[in-house]
Amino acid sequence: MKKIVLAGAFVGLGLLVACQPAAQKAEAPKAEKKAEKKKLSSKEKFKIALANQDKWQKACSNPTQLVPEGIDIETFKKEMLATVKFPEGGVVGKNIARGEKLFGDPKKGGKSRRGNCYACHCGDPKIIACGNIGPSLRGYGKRGIDPKETYIRIYNSWAQNPCSVMPRLGYHGVLKPEEIADIVAYMHDPNSPLNK
Amino acid sequence: MRKRVLLTSAVLAGGAFLTAAVAQEQLPTHLKELLELGMHPGHAYVDEGREMFHTPGPNGKSCATCHGQDGAGVNGRLNLQGAYAKMPRYYKDIDRVADIDTRILACMTKYMGYDKKDKKFMKQFKKWSGPYRVPLASYVASLSNGMKIDVKLDDPQEKELYKMGEKLWYMRVGARDFSCGICHTVLAGKRIRLQGLPDPVKNKVYAHWPAYRFGSDRMWTMEDRVRSCFKAYLLYTKQWSKKDWVKKPPPFSDWVIALELYMKHAANGAIIEVPGLLR
Repeated sequence: MKKIVLAGAFVGLGLLVACQPAAQKAEAPKAEKKAEKKKLSSKEKFKIALANQDKWQKACSNPTQLVPEGIDIETFKKEMLATVKFPEGGVVGKNIARGEKLFGDPKKGGKSRRGNCYACHCGDPKIIACGNIGPSLRGYGKRGIDPKETYIRIYNSWAQNPCSVMPRLGYHGVLKPEEIADIVAYMHDPNSPLNK
Repeated sequence: MRKRVLLTSAVLAGGAFLTAAVAQEQLPTHLKELLELGMHPGHAYVDEGREMFHTPGPNGKSCATCHGQDGAGVNGRLNLQGAYAKMPRYYKDIDRVADIDTRILACMTKYMGYDKKDKKFMKQFKKWSGPYRVPLASYVASLSNGMKIDVKLDDPQEKELYKMGEKLWYMRVGARDFSCGICHTVLAGKRIRLQGLPDPVKNKVYAHWPAYRFGSDRMWTMEDRVRSCFKAYLLYTKQWSKKDWVKKPPPFSDWVIALELYMKHAANGAIIEVPGLLR
């Protein structure tokens, strides 16, 4: 408990420093630079990383790993949906090849660590090393799913399925909106190996 | 009742057979040959650890000076046979709960003349392939082979750490919204790619750790295992990026020991059989 409070105080301090007016900042640039240069220890870093847990993650942190009683699921979904940012060019991107690379792998082993889809889903029948945590995505484009729904699911899966194990890839910035749009394009393209 | 038992045992036997078959299939040829010769690759670490155990440190004392030849104790004291079964536990001399890695480091720096501030030594100690931590942990753990895991939560520090471990186990955090529990409790039995997800809490897998993992071709202590798991969380301090990635909790830290305590307490009663051989 003490640790969490400490870490909270640390983050708070950081915010305070960041929110100071520009004039004050100019007064002591050296001191600030020094403070910035002072490297955090691995212990401090880990503490901050744990304290970065957001309120939705906190809600899911129970033995069932689901939305607990007392929290309205519909509100949860709405709040998550509000975080979704859409790319300017629409939810279906143009660079299908990049979508495939992010989804699976440049060399078709499926081990892209960006999208990392094959860790949990199967897709391209040629890629056998696929997980079974999520549903298979073979024939995904033929299921009549709205690409916008696909986009939202990848950007923030908790907008549709709160506390799901599927990472909120767009929400955390693991993937950029344009990159997600390219993945959507790959998944819905009739010529994609997923849909053949 | 009987039917149910029969069915379970049939399912279990089938499962065991399948696992064995899969394990055989996944075992690289050179390891298969070694096993056929009766040579477990992890035993090399145990042997190395035994040698280190009897090697004097900078002040002339070796582990065996206090713990006796082969850890059998001196005048009936500090016998290490069965010590691993009770770890992690509270140690009065260092005033903290320690797992095997932490305990070994404490012994070496407190009683054998190694210096914690000596960067070269610490680097060697933390290193996977170093001569100290992994071999000694494997050897000392192997002295408890055949005994039942018996982790007690008597000390207030142990209780506190256990609670912290349980909380950490279910804590969703990081850019992937992971927790230990979502994969290893809720989704246990499923696969990440081709790697099966064990349930260390229910299935007492701790009995096989430290383990030789042929996927990486080396011995892992549970400290290594827990810390490496955190890499998948994509933890960060400011915002997610590769530069801001907090890959692992610091070694010998309470977070790691808390999770070890939580898992090993759940494995109470399981018979220790180390080194394990895992994928």
